Order: sequence, then C-alpha cells, then structure tokens
Amino acid sequence: MRNPLPGSWALVLGASSGIGAATARALAVEGVNIIGVHLDRTDAGPAVEALRSELTAHGAEAHFFNINAARAPSRAQVVARVADLTGGAGVRVLLHSLAFGSLLPYLPRAGFAEALTSKQMAMTLDVMANSLVYWVQDLVRAALLPPGAKVFAMTSAGVAQTLPSYGAVSAAKAALEAHVRQLACELAPLGVAVNALRAGTTLTPALQQIPEHETFLAQAASVNPHGRLTEPSDVGEAVVVLSCAPSSWITGNTIGVDGAELISAGTSWGSEQR
Amino acid sequence: MTIEPETTAALDLEELRTMIADVIDVDVAEVTDDATFADDLEVDSLLALELAVQFENHYGVKVAEDEIAQFTDLRATHRLLAGKMAGV
Repeated sequence: MRNPLPGSWALVLGASSGIGAATARALAVEGVNIIGVHLDRTDAGPAVEALRSELTAHGAEAHFFNINAARAPSRAQVVARVADLTGGAGVRVLLHSLAFGSLLPYLPRAGFAEALTSKQMAMTLDVMANSLVYWVQDLVRAALLPPGAKVFAMTSAGVAQTLPSYGAVSAAKAALEAHVRQLACELAPLGVAVNALRAGTTLTPALQQIPEHETFLAQAASVNPHGRLTEPSDVGEAVVVLSCAPSSWITGNTIGVDGAELISAGTSWGSEQR
Repeated sequence: MTIEPETTAALDLEELRTMIADVIDVDVAEVTDDATFADDLEVDSLLALELAVQFENHYGVKVAEDEIAQFTDLRATHRLLAGKMAGV
C-alpha cells in the first residue's frame, strides 16, 4: 500500500542549496515535480540553473522563484503560481528548509563584539520558524494541501543544545517544533501529516555560516556511530520514504535523520574507534 | 519572481525609492534621501539581501556579498547603482 509519488508536486522552501536542494533531487528522481523557493544574488544563478536542469533531466518539472519566503506578498505570489502549475491539485510535499538567521550571542563575548538585537531575534524566529505556519495557512486557504500531503520542517540537535552563536537559531528551532506539533493536530482532520526532521550535523552552506562550525563538525564526525557526517541526500531519502505513507498517522513527531548521532555516547561509537 | 533578470530599467530615483519602500514594507515618504536603512528604517540582514536581489534583477547589475553593507541610504544606493550601470 503506497501513496504514489510520480506526477505529484513538491514545494521546497530553501531549494537552492544544502538539504533543500538535495531533497528536490531525491524527489525529482521519484518523478515529483519541484517548485523551489530561494533567495540568492546573481552569483548563485548558474548553480540554481544547473540544479533546475538536473531536476528536469529526471523528467520532472522544476520552477524556481527567487524571493524572500518570509514576506507575505511574495508568498501570495508563489501560492498563486502553485495553484496554476499544479492545476489546482496542490502539493504532496511541503519542505521548510529555510536557514537564514542571526548568528550572534545574546551578550558580547571574546570574538563577538556585537550582541543580538530584538530585530535580529524577531527576523530569525520569523524566517526559521513562524514562516512555516504562514505558508501552511496560505496553502490550506487555497485548498492546495490535499489529503495525503506531507509537511516537513528541518530542525536540528541545536534545539536542545547550545553553541556560542546559535542562541536565536536554537530558539527558532524550538518554536518550529512547537509549530509542527500544533499544525499536526490542526491538519489531522485534513489527512495531512506534519513532522520535524532532525538532521544530524550536515555540511551545508548554512552550517558553514556558524562561526564555530569547524570544531563542531570534527566532534560530530567522531561521535556519529556510522563514522561519517549526515549528507544532505540522507535527508532527501527520508523525505521520499515518509512521503510514500498512505495515511497521516506518522505525524506530530521530531524524527531523527542523523545515523544515531544524537544518542551515541561520547566518541565511543565514532570513527576514532574504527 | 524568476531567476532570469528582468529587462534592465533606467535608474530613476523615485522608482528606486518606491521599490525600496515596497521591499522593506514602509511608507514611501519614510524613505527620505538620507534616512539610514539600518537605523532609521530597520532594514535587517534579510531585507538587505532581498534589496540586493531586487536591484540585481531590476537593473541588471551584480552586487557582491561584501557590497550589500554599502547600501546605507537612498542617496548612497542611487550613487552605487548608477556607477554599476555606467560600468564603473
């Protein structure tokens, strides 16, 4: 019993790189048409065009919109295009993979002269957490999230762990997981599942923005019992598998996609022991 | 909306003012010639990036990452974009 993917549509928020791009690839391979939202300067144009070509080479349609996904008018424009492109059928998969936030500590410290402002806190929460709610609201209002649809939001172990510059993002991930639980219950009558995916430490452009990412990466690689970091394609695989579920019974969870990185104690399972 | 740049438009100060007001969601009258984006108009890093993307698409110019911070107010933005469009 499967919920077949070929010919369906996915809306990927944060589609131009990292986990969003890898998930778009994995879905396109399964015959899912992609509507990608991203915000990039012209420099990224060739890479985005290459990704679009790669997706269409799998026989899927691929449409990219270079807009700020956190801005209401831009969201409305894309939702209208989703209606057109899908012929009113809506999206089978919505992935929220927006990584744009402020990476400043709450208080100045060595190496960080500037502390987080209220504006930066609000922006980070709005983009990385609250925008999920607004996209779902707009899609449901337009009847573009049909029964069987799956909503995924990218969280991280940073929801319960701290890094010097990750305060606002950690708060955003906590809010995002709360939004996922609330949406799961509110969307249950519609047969739409909502889950947060907690990827393990993954080398993405977003991770590389974190000032202390190098020490963090080295530690994660030594902890992961698979002896490697999580790849963006690992998350793409998880989205494909979970999207095939016919019912909406797997919902309201934070699902680890980390090769057991979070639960492995110390470095006793990691690559250093191999 | 799309990744293809729109047809390059001429650099009209009032059109630029309107575009900026639209992106950062303030009244056009608030975007005076020397209101600072960061302090007076509360432009954060996300809006600054969105402005840069809009300038690139609308005027057919390129904005490097480290140039984004140079768009400090309308006057400076007009000067920088005019320079880029003239190939300076």
